[in-house]
Amino acid sequence: MNLPRIISTRNHALLEAAGPSHVAINAISANMDSFSSSRTAALKKQPSHMEAAHFGDLGRSCLNYQAQETKSSLSKTLEQVLQDNVALPYFIQFMELRRMEHLVKFWLEAESFHSTTWSRIRAHSLNTVKQSSLAEPVSPSKQEEMASSPSGLLEERLEDSSTVRLLRTKSVAPDKNNRTSNSQNHVLSGQERDNTSVVCLRKSETGMHSVAADQQESSNLTVSNRNSPSSALKDLSGKLMKSIERDAVSTFTKYISPDAAKPIPITEAMRNDIVAKICGEDGQVDPNCFVTAQSIVFNAMEQEHFSEFLRSHHFCKYQIEVLTSGTVYLADILFCESALFYFSEYMEKEEAVNVLQFWLAADNFQSQLAAKKGQYDGQEAQNDAMILYDKYFSLQATHPLGFDDSVRLEIESNICREGGPLPNCFTTPLRQAWTTMETVFLPGFLSSNLYYKYLNDLIHSVRGDEFPGGNIALNIQGPGSSPDSDSIGGPDGSASQSNVKKANVKILKNFDEAIIVDAASLDPESLYQRTYAGKMTFGRVSDLGQFIRESEPEPDVKKSKGSMFSQAMKKWVQGNTDEAQEEMAWRIAKMIVNDVMQQAQCEQRSEKITKVRGWKSCVHLSGLSQCGKSRALAVPPVMLLLCKS
Amino acid sequence: MAKRMDTGESALTDEDSATMATAPYNYSYIFKYIIIGDMGVGKSCLLHQFTEKKFMADCPHTIGVEFGTRIIEVSGQKIKLQIWDTAGQERFRAVTRSYYRGAAGALMVYDITRRSTYNHLSSWLTDARNLTNPNTVIILIGNKADLEAQRDVTYEEAKQFAEENGLLFLEASAKTGENVEDAFLEAAKKIYQNIQDGSLDLNAAESGVQHKPSAPQGGRLTSEPQPQREGCGC
Repeated sequence: MNLPRIISTRNHALLEAAGPSHVAINAISANMDSFSSSRTAALKKQPSHMEAAHFGDLGRSCLNYQAQETKSSLSKTLEQVLQDNVALPYFIQFMELRRMEHLVKFWLEAESFHSTTWSRIRAHSLNTVKQSSLAEPVSPSKQEEMASSPSGLLEERLEDSSTVRLLRTKSVAPDKNNRTSNSQNHVLSGQERDNTSVVCLRKSETGMHSVAADQQESSNLTVSNRNSPSSALKDLSGKLMKSIERDAVSTFTKYISPDAAKPIPITEAMRNDIVAKICGEDGQVDPNCFVTAQSIVFNAMEQEHFSEFLRSHHFCKYQIEVLTSGTVYLADILFCESALFYFSEYMEKEEAVNVLQFWLAADNFQSQLAAKKGQYDGQEAQNDAMILYDKYFSLQATHPLGFDDSVRLEIESNICREGGPLPNCFTTPLRQAWTTMETVFLPGFLSSNLYYKYLNDLIHSVRGDEFPGGNIALNIQGPGSSPDSDSIGGPDGSASQSNVKKANVKILKNFDEAIIVDAASLDPESLYQRTYAGKMTFGRVSDLGQFIRESEPEPDVKKSKGSMFSQAMKKWVQGNTDEAQEEMAWRIAKMIVNDVMQQAQCEQRSEKITKVRGWKSCVHLSGLSQCGKSRALAVPPVMLLLCKS
Repeated sequence: MAKRMDTGESALTDEDSATMATAPYNYSYIFKYIIIGDMGVGKSCLLHQFTEKKFMADCPHTIGVEFGTRIIEVSGQKIKLQIWDTAGQERFRAVTRSYYRGAAGALMVYDITRRSTYNHLSSWLTDARNLTNPNTVIILIGNKADLEAQRDVTYEEAKQFAEENGLLFLEASAKTGENVEDAFLEAAKKIYQNIQDGSLDLNAAESGVQHKPSAPQGGRLTSEPQPQREGCGC
């Protein structure tokens, strides 16, 4: 990829500076998957300060500045975790350990209720419109589609959570029983507010029980509905609204009602408010009924549990999963402090640490400027920017990075801009530094011992946490650690055993072979040790006279197709290779020798001759197995001795 | 300048650091440090004095973060220090917070000639405690000890503050070099001690410690940690 070089004069630098890099960006992004979130979207953005009209506005025009990818999938906020299908199960597991999983589950249920309720209401209003204009009949297949879309959404969001099962039973088959819903609406509108909640619950409970029965009637009902389009629509609307109510009540029962097994921590007043919103006078459930409670639960999770989660082995396991998934991005490394620790060391060894230092400083500068949202001291920003300029860009730079003239001139203009530099002042060189690190150094890092060590440490953190109190000077020596888990006892014992198995990490892609790492055998010291290689002889002669080779005659030549590992597998499993057959022959010979030795000790001399003859034929027999092969069987010296006598 | 301390740990001579520089792989540990404190107290100068043995008279203020490294020796073990120097200006406070995490050691610096920098220590300490590990070793440094005439904070009161909060304490001067190496060394000794007695699990991620045995030297086939210089007790 050649960046077209344009020699721009200072006057035109402002207008043309975005030019060449923009062309290059398009070229790059045409080949990249530009749908990945913000990865190249930020690159494509034209810096808006290129428009001359925005001079002297103290950066207000630059409010849409977007930093490059600023998230590491290894560092998460609570909000991100709740929306991440990979991280979420680990968080739920963690909360289950603390017996607070009802907080997460409530939040998730309330969240999906909120979104699906709105979509159901929208469907309902659409139907109302259709109904009023007596549109063409809705086919039963479409009905099923519409009815199942909310549950589709739910399933997507809660794949790994056990609430999926719960919600599935509730919303997959919307209530087909018209009579119940009609009477229920009627009942609700007539009730006084105080009794509403009780009646609501009771009626819905009976409604819930009849779901299973209703499912059987569904086919009958849809057949009958085909004939009357308007009633079909009415039917569907009724079902949708009923399902909303059902979901609301079930969530209420599980988490909010005073009878719930684990109620969420909300006040009585709030509870009553929710009740009122569910059992509205017009029979409509307020889709926002759980929103306040949700935010309370969110805050509770964030303040009381989340920071512990980030220190827990559950989070470590999540990080391991990300790091061994085969797609680790530079952002994952640079925005995660523990990964950055290792990456910095790597960059220093590669003697490219200045690239990283520049990136860190310039990115920090831009981030803090962008956070000010235009309200900053231009002079101060200019001074800061000049420090970076003197260090990395000027012709007398103390740490020159080799940026070309066009970049330098662009930076000069950006800094000397009237009103001070904008938060995207260093975007061009930042992007170049990023690309350099991403293409030149990241692949090497991900295949390096340092990275392997980092993974190892993460795995170790997982194991350390699993044995409470056992993370102090935990010496992983394989089988030695398993008795510990048993002795800790209680429910943790079995859980940690299965977790240990999960800690067997498959490291793909970054290494030559798929290495299954058994965490139980990971001892950091052993990574760097080599087993004693022996006396380094070519071979030795066994007491049977067999020459046992200790060197590999042609180590570089691959004897068979396939990797080292598949070769080994073949050897042990199939056993009909040349070596295996020879080995068999030797075993037979050894058996014969032993047999004869025993007999020879007891026999008299006269019979030796016949024995020897028998011997010869036996030897010949075992040699026969090698018939046709060009292998010479060395005659054991023991046998020779016997033959001679 | 070489300083021999009682227990056998030594600061590096110029020769030593030259040989260190040419043997990049012979350290067994890497400790991550952070340097925090108000702007202008001399954080960058302390780092520069430590890594380059030079005093930067007019060094510009730090933008965001920078890091420097140097190899030291503790109890016969070579340890590389990866020291993250943070900007003290308030405007950089938010971005620098993300670098606290996973630090094995923290140098909290104030200027003995400016009382305000001492008064702000509780704020820095709060951040440090919240964002680092419970095991992180924090050392309080009173910089600019060479400007005795303009002293605004006594040794005793700072010492007391340090003791109350479980911090190590030293007064140092980045300009003369006094106690600069000690500052980094003392923290390293404490961290190493924590490793030895097990309170710091050096194989855990986010401990701020990378551990690897030194690469084999000469004809040795197996890699072992360098032999203890002190008496072997056998």
